[in-house]
Amino acid sequence: MELDVSTRDDGIAVVAPRGRLNMVSARQLKETLSDLVAGGTARIVVDLGETTFLDSSGLGALIGGLKAARQAGGDLRVARPTPAVVSVFELTNLDRVLRARDSVETAFDA
Amino acid sequence: MPEVPSEDSAPPELLAAIAADPDRVVLSARAEPEVMDLVHALLEHLFARAPQLDDVTRVKFEMSVIEILGNIVEHAYAHDSRLPAVDPSEVRRFEIQLLATDRDLIAVLSDNGLPVSLDLADVTMPDELAESGRGLALARAALDTLHYERIEGRNLWCLACRIG
Repeated sequence: MELDVSTRDDGIAVVAPRGRLNMVSARQLKETLSDLVAGGTARIVVDLGETTFLDSSGLGALIGGLKAARQAGGDLRVARPTPAVVSVFELTNLDRVLRARDSVETAFDA
Repeated sequence: MPEVPSEDSAPPELLAAIAADPDRVVLSARAEPEVMDLVHALLEHLFARAPQLDDVTRVKFEMSVIEILGNIVEHAYAHDSRLPAVDPSEVRRFEIQLLATDRDLIAVLSDNGLPVSLDLADVTMPDELAESGRGLALARAALDTLHYERIEGRNLWCLACRIG
C-alpha cells in the first residue's frame, strides 16, 4: 500500500491509501492519522477510491482516526469507497458510522 | 449468521475435497505479517481460475482468509514474544490450502500455535467504535462455513464460501 497525504488550503487533510489496507499497512494509516490530529489537523478525509482491500485492522485504523479527530473537535470522513470496501462496511454495520461521501472535495459540506 | 459449521458442507468433506484436487494451491511459511501479500497473490491466482466467480463472493472470501491468517499471525507473535531464544522447531509456521470448485471457494489453514480458546458460535460484532475484535465476527458473517478445531497439536481452520 502507498499512502498519499496532502493538506488543502481550507486546512482539511486528505489521506489516500492506495492498494490493500491489511494488518501490515493499517499500522501506517493509524500512525499517519494520529500524527495529523496531534499536529493540529482534526478534519480529515480518507479517500478510499483506490483502496482495493480492507480488513478488520484497516477498519480499526479508520475508527481510531475517527475517534481521535472527534476528540480534537474535528471529524474523519470517508469518500469514494470501492465496492470491496463498501462490502466490509456493510458486513460490520459500520456504514452508518463511516458514512461514505461521493467526493473528496465535498466530504465536509453538510 | 450461518450455522457453524453448515450441515451440507461439513469440514471432513471439505478436507477430502481439497486433498484430492490437483488444482489445490498450497503454501507453508513462517507466521509473520509480511507473508500477507503472498497470500493475497495466491488468492488472485485462485480467482483467476474461477471465471464464474462474482465480485461479492470474492471480496468476502479474500477478507475472511486474511482475517483468519491475521489471527494466526497475531497469536503466534503474542506467544513468541514471551519466549527466550526461539528453537527452530518452535518457530510459528502455518500452512494454507486453497481450492476453487464449481460450487465453493475453500480454504484450510493450520498452524502450530497455541490452542485458540473460543467458541465461534459466541463470536459477535463489537461496539461500533471499537478499534479491534471484529476479525472473526467479520469472517463468520461473510462465510457459509467457518470451522475451527484443535487436532494433533495444531489449530485447523476450514473456511468455505458458496459461489453464486
